[in-house]
Amino acid sequence: MDLSKLKKRPSYPFETIAVAISFSPRCHPVLAEAKRLSDVLGASMLLLHIGEKTSEKEQELDEMMSKIGVNPNHSRVIWMEGEPVDTILKLCKLNIVDLLVLGALEKENILKFYLGSIARNISRKAKCSVLLLTNPDPQPKKFKKIVVNGVSNPKTIHTINTALYLAKNLKVKDLTIVNEVDVPGLAMAIADDSTAPQTKEIKKNLAEESEETLQMILEKCDSGDVNVTDKNIKGKPGYAISKFSKDKKADLLVINSPDTHLNVFDRIFAHDIEYILADLPCNLLIVHSRI
Amino acid sequence: MIKLAHNELIVLLLSISTMLIISRIFAELGKRFKLPVVMGELIVGIVLGPTILGMMYPDIFLYLFPRTGNIPIALDGIFSLSVIMLLFVAGMEVQLSLVLKQGKVAVYTSMFSMVIPFFTGFAIAWFFPEIFSIPDEQGPKLLFALFFGTALSISALPVIARILMDMNLFKTNIGMVIIASAMFNDLIGWLIFSFVLSLTNKSVNDHFSLWYTVLYILGFGLFMLTIGKKIIDKTLPWMQTKLSWPGGVLSISLGICLLSAAFTEAIHIHAILGAFIAGIAFGDSVHLREQAREIIHQFVTNFFAPLFFVSIGLKVNFIENFDGRIVAIVLVLAYVGKVLGAFIGARLGGMSKNHSLAVGFGMNARGAMEIILGTLALNAGLISKPIFVALVIMALVTSLTSGPLMKRFID
Repeated sequence: MDLSKLKKRPSYPFETIAVAISFSPRCHPVLAEAKRLSDVLGASMLLLHIGEKTSEKEQELDEMMSKIGVNPNHSRVIWMEGEPVDTILKLCKLNIVDLLVLGALEKENILKFYLGSIARNISRKAKCSVLLLTNPDPQPKKFKKIVVNGVSNPKTIHTINTALYLAKNLKVKDLTIVNEVDVPGLAMAIADDSTAPQTKEIKKNLAEESEETLQMILEKCDSGDVNVTDKNIKGKPGYAISKFSKDKKADLLVINSPDTHLNVFDRIFAHDIEYILADLPCNLLIVHSRI
Repeated sequence: MIKLAHNELIVLLLSISTMLIISRIFAELGKRFKLPVVMGELIVGIVLGPTILGMMYPDIFLYLFPRTGNIPIALDGIFSLSVIMLLFVAGMEVQLSLVLKQGKVAVYTSMFSMVIPFFTGFAIAWFFPEIFSIPDEQGPKLLFALFFGTALSISALPVIARILMDMNLFKTNIGMVIIASAMFNDLIGWLIFSFVLSLTNKSVNDHFSLWYTVLYILGFGLFMLTIGKKIIDKTLPWMQTKLSWPGGVLSISLGICLLSAAFTEAIHIHAILGAFIAGIAFGDSVHLREQAREIIHQFVTNFFAPLFFVSIGLKVNFIENFDGRIVAIVLVLAYVGKVLGAFIGARLGGMSKNHSLAVGFGMNARGAMEIILGTLALNAGLISKPIFVALVIMALVTSLTSGPLMKRFID
């Protein structure tokens, strides 16, 4: 397999969608959701099971696939034994997967969260985009509202374009690009020698700066007939957008992949994606832009 | 219970109001020349203190700031409360997650900008104690060397934040690296300084006691930054919605600060550490509203900070205790250690040569934090007045030159 194909591969279209099969009660709805996506996006499906291959499991999977209507000509099943996280990540790399679909609980118990569950650990490490489904349905429902993180980052343009690509294909009309405004140390900087109008001006300038950056990104995007709105919100990155998505009752939150390698310290001193993973507000798409 | 007499109360109120009003006037004048507020406050202290007023009008000086009776005790209580509050708000702006978020460049910059000045200061103090008139005995020499290393490695987040804001660099990569690294410097610096302070009354040969102190400091820090932080995070939304706003949050937050300070003082670590760590636990909460944060900052920065910084000039005669040689040595060490350390760290983290130098000069601002550190060390008998004066001058010079020097490498 030529791994160089992965480098600089655009974050969309999703040509290969992989889904992790665990034979848990959520497996059927997760597969159904993945199947819906692959049908709409014209992607081939890759079903991954990490564990022993038995005739019972094979039979169960066949039944599930036929019940959901997964086309065997457009799908492959890979069985492999090994450590789940690393094996899934390796298989995704080898098979040039564009999107990996996983089922995930909204909230893990404390111990599991700090130790890291399979779905969340994959989200932190994956070299492809990952979709975490919090409430997968055997009869998948249409996404109506998408919230996208518009943070100032070179990856954001790819994330927004990927969200627009999804919105267009899934016929989502409401897409909100959110920019979280948080300036660490600002309260301290303005505390002793700024007059009230100066403080107001400083805050206004910071908000306008964020707005301008976002507008520049949006100008480069083709939104088609998707109704795109942008919003500046105050608060800690990750936490603020998570709360916004919950309040807005969004169906999907789209964010950039993490910039750094995340470990347990990032969970203790949470920031950005870790706030979202700690309590998923809705389905979460982490876009890996491969830049 | 001992009470202030009628006249004593009047004098106390007069001295506090004099400090507050005159320091505000100086701060506003200084603003026109782009001078940091702390500089105006220090000048007021020098003018009102033994250096000028005490020399020219000793009667007025002793009337306003008597050396005996209950007033000095009352003022000392206020100054102690001021430094605790200052450390609390300094802690409130420390976000350890920012260091993790900025990745290896922030980790390298904060490490090297801490380690190189620390060891430079430690080595000079250890091998050449005579420069600072420190007796060549293991105990005092070790304590001073530890302090001096810490004094050179600390940064001043408030000054740095202000410089970055004025230069419109707050949200840039350079700005974030500087802020994150300064936050980390402050945390480690205050932890080490608390350790040094707690040792001042102990024998450095008492290894059992030493390890207990280290254990207490680390244990307290770890508890507050994990479990304590979680508890604050869980209760803050309730406080902000169920208690009167913003009074409820103010009372509780300042109460937690004092409680934490009392605890660390009780276990023989200085109260400042409790306040600083409580500030981190409180300020890092995602639920703390911007308005509450700003009110706490305004209250402390505009009431307690002037009192504290003016009080410095009241205690020390800056002319009598000015030693040009010590000032020069401290300045050179401060510039070389910090700028070089941060430069190396930023370069290793992948920044360009010019940007790394900008980070180095940005991190070099010591400002108010250095002065607080020096004052506490002076009060604890760790350093002499000439060294304290040198540290204050270094704090002011580094703060004043930080912005212009940074600019050279950013343009």
